[in-house]
Amino acid sequence: MSARENILKRIRAANGKTAPASVQEREAVVARLRAHARGPLPSMNWDPLPRFKERCIVMMSTVDQIGSRAQLPQAIASYLRENSLPARGVCWPEFADLDWSAAGLEFQSRPSNGDDKVGVTGTYCAIAENGTLMLLSGENTHATTSLLPETHIAVVPASRVVRAMEDGWDLLRREHGDLPRQVNFVSGPSRTADIEMTLVMGVHGPYRVHVIVVDA
Amino acid sequence: MKVGLFVTCLVDLMRPNIGFCALRLLESAGCEVVVPADQTCCGQPGYNSGDRKAAQALARKVIEEFDACEYVVVPSGSCSGMIRAHYPELLAEFPDLRAKAEALAGKTYELTDFLQNMVRLDRVPGKFSGTVTYHDSCSGLREMGVKSQPRALLAKVAGLSVREMQQPEQCCGFGGTFAVKYGDISSRIADLKCEDVLSTGADALVLGDLGCMLNIEGRLRRRGDNNTRVLHVAEVLAGELPQD
Amino acid sequence: MQITSQDFKRVSSLKLTDPQLQKAMGNAKGKLVVTRARSILELDNFEDIREAAARIRDFGLQHMDVLLEEWERNATAAGTIVHWVESPQDVNAKVIEIARNHGVRKIIKSKSMLGEETNLNHALEDAGLDVRETDLGEYIIQQSGETPSHIIAPAVHKSKEDVADLFAEKHGRRRLTDIAALTHEAREILRPHFLDADMGISGANFIVAETGSTMIVTNEGNGRMTTTMPRVHVAITGIEKIIPTLEDVSMILRLLTRSATGQSISNYLSFTTGPKRDADKDGPGEFHVIIVDAGRTRILGSEMREALRCIRCGACMNHCPVYQNIGGHAYGWVYPGPIGSILTPSFIGLENAIDLPNAATLCNQCGVVCPVKIPLPDLMRKLREKQVERGLRPWTERLGLRLWAWAATRPAIYSLLTRIGARIGKIAGGSDGVLHKLPPGGAGWTSGRDFPAPKGKTFRELYARRPVAGKGAKS
Repeated sequence: MSARENILKRIRAANGKTAPASVQEREAVVARLRAHARGPLPSMNWDPLPRFKERCIVMMSTVDQIGSRAQLPQAIASYLRENSLPARGVCWPEFADLDWSAAGLEFQSRPSNGDDKVGVTGTYCAIAENGTLMLLSGENTHATTSLLPETHIAVVPASRVVRAMEDGWDLLRREHGDLPRQVNFVSGPSRTADIEMTLVMGVHGPYRVHVIVVDA
Repeated sequence: MKVGLFVTCLVDLMRPNIGFCALRLLESAGCEVVVPADQTCCGQPGYNSGDRKAAQALARKVIEEFDACEYVVVPSGSCSGMIRAHYPELLAEFPDLRAKAEALAGKTYELTDFLQNMVRLDRVPGKFSGTVTYHDSCSGLREMGVKSQPRALLAKVAGLSVREMQQPEQCCGFGGTFAVKYGDISSRIADLKCEDVLSTGADALVLGDLGCMLNIEGRLRRRGDNNTRVLHVAEVLAGELPQD
Repeated sequence: MQITSQDFKRVSSLKLTDPQLQKAMGNAKGKLVVTRARSILELDNFEDIREAAARIRDFGLQHMDVLLEEWERNATAAGTIVHWVESPQDVNAKVIEIARNHGVRKIIKSKSMLGEETNLNHALEDAGLDVRETDLGEYIIQQSGETPSHIIAPAVHKSKEDVADLFAEKHGRRRLTDIAALTHEAREILRPHFLDADMGISGANFIVAETGSTMIVTNEGNGRMTTTMPRVHVAITGIEKIIPTLEDVSMILRLLTRSATGQSISNYLSFTTGPKRDADKDGPGEFHVIIVDAGRTRILGSEMREALRCIRCGACMNHCPVYQNIGGHAYGWVYPGPIGSILTPSFIGLENAIDLPNAATLCNQCGVVCPVKIPLPDLMRKLREKQVERGLRPWTERLGLRLWAWAATRPAIYSLLTRIGARIGKIAGGSDGVLHKLPPGGAGWTSGRDFPAPKGKTFRELYARRPVAGKGAKS
């Protein structure tokens, strides 16, 4: 008998069951999985967009809001200038068509190789409850862009702000079906308190996260 | 109300005054109190040490002794907790006893809870001019829901004011035989409780459990503090403080 | 990890007088306890969520086999290679086998307590592999050759001066004293390894049956890098980490991060389902998950079953008066504090961890904060019962308890003994009214405290002699 069979058999024995799982038991379990019912949620008596922005700040991101996508290069240029950050980096392919050079910026549309200081990504959706970005890995949504550079700039369409993580999953199931390789929920800059319980920002992931909400 | 008073082994051996104070309070509230003469111990020392048989023997005895009482009142969070929270499980393997254990559990109360919520005592004999701080014993708080009751009753003591510690709900480190088996850890935990007590500047520490009482008082005295009084809530409410 | 639980008494005594540890524990306690309490207030239905979480964990235990099979079906469909292993040694052997099959030389690791159970790092190093812990706390203790003292904050026992000395020695650079600077130096040192490691090993906070995913809860970014950068990713998980759906995980996460560090959410939650897809430009080419028993099925079938609900938040130890004062190392194995007092004997044998279930006051500060309502003091008591059943207690203790029960069930004898005791005790207490020393067996008390003396008479004898006047008095 393989390790797998041994383990499954021991599990059943430990649960006081002598026979393998019945059809009914399997169906009941699968039905529960398919129903994916939500558990009790805390009250969420707030409007999603203001809540999202407020929680981003609590989680130590900075937040900006602009009217349209076309304004992104200027908004990003201002942010980088104000924080004395380099005017170049990488971005997701969806932003390749923006007029970066007009804003004095140089952003390449490719995954980050570790040398880039700034990475610009979109978001699949944003979770208002805790100021969280839901990022899916994919052909045009490179995982490294939000991870390796010291500064992560995330573009969030206002229409893609949902209330809770459960809403994010519903959206994902509706629009994609299966999960991609990795779903990351990002809530601010990387941090640790491993030395004397003292909070330090910027450990292995980005030092800073700048969120730009786009109205249209 | 017909009340059976379970004084507890520590009160019996170490601080009989507390038993008489409980008696006085219950009688002043109009209760008819019986004190079963042969009571000894609830069995907790054996139970918490893993000697189930020893604990069962004592549980049987207690169940029988208090069977006829309408209510059972105990001046201790841990002993009342033993009866209410643990007797049913302890006697689970004896179906006939289990039912009796559940019946007893259903009518067993910690003293301040009984006085405040069942009897609704609105006046207490005690007087105390000074401040006190109150320690919430772990079983009293977490097994018997004792928190507001002693404070509400102490508020009725003329001249007394309560000043809370930083962490009144923090364990004092007694833990029964733990205090002896892991004495250095126990002493350290007790020491932190003493510092919390002293930081209030209160004249007295008041509490509802003898184990905590002996532990904290023992540490206070070893620290050289002979001024902070350590009193059981029954003594303060009844106005019969021990002579020092 | 090497087992030193049998040394509990000696080590705990040392820790009580270790100024550095005491300072570190004091610092940690204030932060973790207070922040948790504050963050719990954000959930107006905390107890409802807690109850639901306990039920989900029990459902997972009750239907573990079916859920694991569902998980495996979904994981395999996404391209995950699934391995099942039974013993701790098998875990290490399997990881080494995967490493060898892929020509792996350098490995980066994000935290795994299961890896500590199996001594994974040592096994990998013995096999000639270069293993780097990347979680800052784990990195620190890997460098110092220590074991973690807390399941969430492994280096909580170390001061910044310790870390400053350590980094100066290991990194060969100027000694820094600023915590942020030390952290950023570690970031700089570890960054190249993220980029050139062949294999990443992670644990799993949960595995999700509905989607065949594994997920990790992190703050630093090392978890994302470990599971994204190298060409091979291996996740190791205990069988009990199974959760039915994504919604279940989302709900439990609200409790986990608050219970662990007082965070409403941790920085990164990473759900991994299979290796890189054909069109992806980043991600590992192969994703392996090793499903591990290593004693869990035995616990599942035992009275300690509820301990498997544990979601590894650390709240129990943060709130435990014993742990708060002695730290984690005294517990002698991977899991310290209340959950450790139950898991350690359950995994390594009750006879090898005699002190652990006993070194507790049963105050239940742990049980009250456990997000999945594990009845921790009850389980500790059950282990004490097991010790008595198996004759593992000292005969003096057994005898003492039996004598106590014998006397206490004989009221006349008990009455006599207590009257004698009360009188002797009072005399021994002298004019102070305290005993400075107790008879043999009581030294544990009087080494640190006085023992208030009895008052000389027992309640029962005084009550019996009470003048019968009016209502109430009976004898």
